[in-house]
Amino acid sequence: MSAISELSTIHRAKAKTPEEKRLLAKEAGRDNKAGYLFLLPWLIGLVLIIGGPMIASLYLSFTNYSLIQAPKWVGLDNYLRMLSDPRLHKSLAVTFTYVIVGVPLQLIMALAVAMLLNEGMKGLPFYRSVFYLPSMLGSSVAIAVLWRQMFEVDGLVNQVLRKFGIPATNSWIGDPQYALWTIILLHVWTFGSPMVIFLAGLRQIPGMYYEAASVDGASKWAQFRKITLPLLSPIIFFNLVLQIINAFQAFTQAFVVSNGTGGPADSTLFYTLYLYQRGFVQFQMGYASAMAWLLVVIIAVFTAINFYFSKRWVFYGD
Amino acid sequence: MALNRRQFLVGAGGLAAAATTMGLGACAPGSSGGSGSQGGGGGGGTNLALAFWGNPTRNKNTQAEIDAYMKANPGVTISGQPGEFNTYWDKLATQTAGGNAPDIIQMDMNYISEYGSRGALLDLSKVDVSKFVEGTVDSGKINGKLVGINAGINSALIFANPKVFEKAKMDLPDDKTWTWDQLIEVGAEVASKAGVSFGVASLMGSDALFGTFVRQHGKELFTENGLGFDVAEAQAWYDLMLKGQKAKAFGTPEQASEESSKVLDQSAIVVGTAAMQYYNSNQLEAVSAAAGQQLKMLRGASLAGKATERKTWYKASMLWSASAKTKNPDAAIAWINWFANSPEAANIDLAERGIPPNAEVLAAVKPKLSPAQQTVAKYISDIKSEVATTPIAPPPGGGTIATVLFRHGIDVLFGKTSSADGAQKFVDELKSNLQS
Amino acid sequence: MATPAETTVSLNGPAPQEAIHHRATGRDRVTSVIKHILLIAASVIMIYPLLWLVASSLRPTEVIFRTPGLWLNDLYVENYTKGWYSLSYPFGQYIINSFIVVIGAIAGNLFACTLAAYAFARLKFRLRGLWFAIMLLTLMLPFHVVVVPQYILFNALGFVNTFVPLILPKFLATDAFFVFLMVQFIRGIPRELDEAATIDGCGHWKIFSRVMLPLMGPAIATTAIFTFIWTWSDFFTPLIYLTDPIAYTVPVALRSFLDATAGSNWGAMFAMSVVTLIPLFLVFLFGQLFLVKGIATTGGK
Repeated sequence: MSAISELSTIHRAKAKTPEEKRLLAKEAGRDNKAGYLFLLPWLIGLVLIIGGPMIASLYLSFTNYSLIQAPKWVGLDNYLRMLSDPRLHKSLAVTFTYVIVGVPLQLIMALAVAMLLNEGMKGLPFYRSVFYLPSMLGSSVAIAVLWRQMFEVDGLVNQVLRKFGIPATNSWIGDPQYALWTIILLHVWTFGSPMVIFLAGLRQIPGMYYEAASVDGASKWAQFRKITLPLLSPIIFFNLVLQIINAFQAFTQAFVVSNGTGGPADSTLFYTLYLYQRGFVQFQMGYASAMAWLLVVIIAVFTAINFYFSKRWVFYGD
Repeated sequence: MALNRRQFLVGAGGLAAAATTMGLGACAPGSSGGSGSQGGGGGGGTNLALAFWGNPTRNKNTQAEIDAYMKANPGVTISGQPGEFNTYWDKLATQTAGGNAPDIIQMDMNYISEYGSRGALLDLSKVDVSKFVEGTVDSGKINGKLVGINAGINSALIFANPKVFEKAKMDLPDDKTWTWDQLIEVGAEVASKAGVSFGVASLMGSDALFGTFVRQHGKELFTENGLGFDVAEAQAWYDLMLKGQKAKAFGTPEQASEESSKVLDQSAIVVGTAAMQYYNSNQLEAVSAAAGQQLKMLRGASLAGKATERKTWYKASMLWSASAKTKNPDAAIAWINWFANSPEAANIDLAERGIPPNAEVLAAVKPKLSPAQQTVAKYISDIKSEVATTPIAPPPGGGTIATVLFRHGIDVLFGKTSSADGAQKFVDELKSNLQS
Repeated sequence: MATPAETTVSLNGPAPQEAIHHRATGRDRVTSVIKHILLIAASVIMIYPLLWLVASSLRPTEVIFRTPGLWLNDLYVENYTKGWYSLSYPFGQYIINSFIVVIGAIAGNLFACTLAAYAFARLKFRLRGLWFAIMLLTLMLPFHVVVVPQYILFNALGFVNTFVPLILPKFLATDAFFVFLMVQFIRGIPRELDEAATIDGCGHWKIFSRVMLPLMGPAIATTAIFTFIWTWSDFFTPLIYLTDPIAYTVPVALRSFLDATAGSNWGAMFAMSVVTLIPLFLVFLFGQLFLVKGIATTGGK
């Protein structure tokens, strides 16, 4: 025990002497054997199943690959063509809008409902399942057909609006101006997954903190700010990082709702949908691979920014 | 110790990467790949994998056809791989990339040149097409090589909903003499009198009717060298659409946009919001069943007002191809031959894939066809004097013409671009698709 | 972290927060009723599409798209009775296939992801940061460009038309999502517990299995539930790897009801969709109970 605390004191003071540096290096590799042993399945998976194909796709991004014939090296050609591809720029605009608007909206929904469904009240399992149901269906063809119908000129949404006296004459799904919003709404509607994760995180916060705070006279809002948020922050961080990563790669909902086309005038042409079109429909897998790696860079930048700022507001128990 | 582990991992990773990339290279035509056959029977005889897209009816028909063939040809085992049209192509592309393409492949006109011109399809000149109706063989020729056998004839046309016309108290138009302008007039009249959204629906994105339009102007959709038409023809088409929209014959832009992503059972003519709609002849039975009434078939319009000059052609609703890398080319050809020329196959299929192109087989099976299919057969033979030469299949990159045509057209309809600009963008995008 | 004076470790106690709400004043009851009303209204909005799905599954296909609204005049159960048999095999075959794949996937994920997460969260080893970054990187590459090289790999190994490509990756922790999820959960568990176990003479394996795993209940439940639901609904991987219809999983089988070019059997497709929703719903309902098992735990002495 004392050795550990000694080392951590050195660490905090920032190692200066070679002796301390050596101790720290040894410390950093203290669990080498155990670490790599626990990590072995993942490492095997990385090497065999993910690593090879990832490197292959990077290689393909420098080729013309029609899937039917062998790849042909073209160097930076694909990347250069991306610069002047209007549909690519459109897909970036669509995807960025979706990420910047959709992710916060969905997460706030998820957290609010999770908090609501965390407190003791009757029928909790039922409500939780009900609020999770949309996520189970969200990417299915059946729901996509219905979602389209709901947002047509004479669909359910407009009918309801008209009952409230709002003159609703436009099509939400057919008008390039509004189509993206129907997909964002679909994304928000399927908030079940982050909600469940928030629930699990809320469950992990010991109740006695709230008890102690109530005894001390703290308001619900203060409890939320001082207890819930900090203790939930690792989970909030997780949801934020992953929802952003997933939102940038959003595919299925846009694919089924627009029937694979990308919506009226490409208004719901998500980046990965366009990537899929280029790769599988137009037999240009090389270009699609280049698009994929550009996306990796974009997502990596956003993730790095997230991690950087996380030091300020994420609070770990260890 | 740690160093050795790292070295090992890096080395293994490099090997895995190398293996995958070499695998990609090895999948070029000419190298050996798996035949992709997963036999139900397996032992000893020839195994063929047969991939097709279908629906529950076609799946059952095809399995019956396979069973009948296997019974007549012991020693041959065929395993069917049914699929669904939209996702069929993802699977086929992946299998082909992996060297695992099925032996017998149901093919579509929009994809046949992608596979055919890259050497993925077997030469089918040994298949007997001597009894095929004139004009139905050429659709399967890519760069002079026959790689697809017509599995069902169809033709692009316009369905009419008799109930809507009744409601408008109008007769069906004379489809042998109508011009495009008259088509708009009739559409506008029936739409307003019957109170429906569309006089004619789904016209703008119809690559086949656009094809007749282009050919009526003396050009072609595609030539051996690329695009066969120019901005002028595209603009004329978009102007026609604008004209129809203004006359309230083609619905509002929102309605047109919504209609484009609707499934067949939801389409306007089925639910009764269109008097007429673009379809293919082989869909008469299915669409009529969905609509709950027998729809009527109308020929497309022409510039000159003469059906014989509308430059339509016998399309192939689908074709049979074989993988160039199949281990059993003769067996695959034998099956395709059997399907194309034996009355037995046609008796099971009952024109579900389209009208049999073999005239003798058609004559033999005709009495067994359903009334709707007999109507279709009659239509196909009626237009024989009107069909022009079959155009070449869309070259690689050209299969997407319908979606590109519609996408730029919708921009024009919404007023976001002029018809001239929209036409320019459409042609530019299509040209760039053809080049890549 | 402010450690309270009291220290109790209770792993099977009731959910923590529920212990608080015992006083029920009149005002609390009114709020509760209002809350329930709002929740029920919200629930209806949430599941309206599902209600439409069920209603449509009880109508013949021709009628589905012509009848807006939920009201049913007759119950057309043929969609269920005939739909079950209208594909190449009775639909039960596809459900069984999906179960096999899903159970394999859950086992794989629980096995591999917990191990990897423990390593990342608790163990100090060289290059840990690098591997963690690479793990996150694997989440960022769209799967469409990895699918073909993976297919070539599995094809070379002879695993096409088997369930291996669907299950094996899970045993190798390729679902980085769950690894990261568990890492975050583990980091929320106080280190004092580890240290207490170390003092008691436990090695890493004992700490992992005796201390960590029991405390990771919610994370494990979440992983199991999500793995079930996502693997069950996965379409693309079974599409490309399974060529023999007898092996098709549920999503692929559902697609077979549709035909973009001719009439589709929407009624049967909706009916079978409803049928396959039931296992999902049940899994979630029961999985919740493990989620709810709270941890009323704090640091050791």
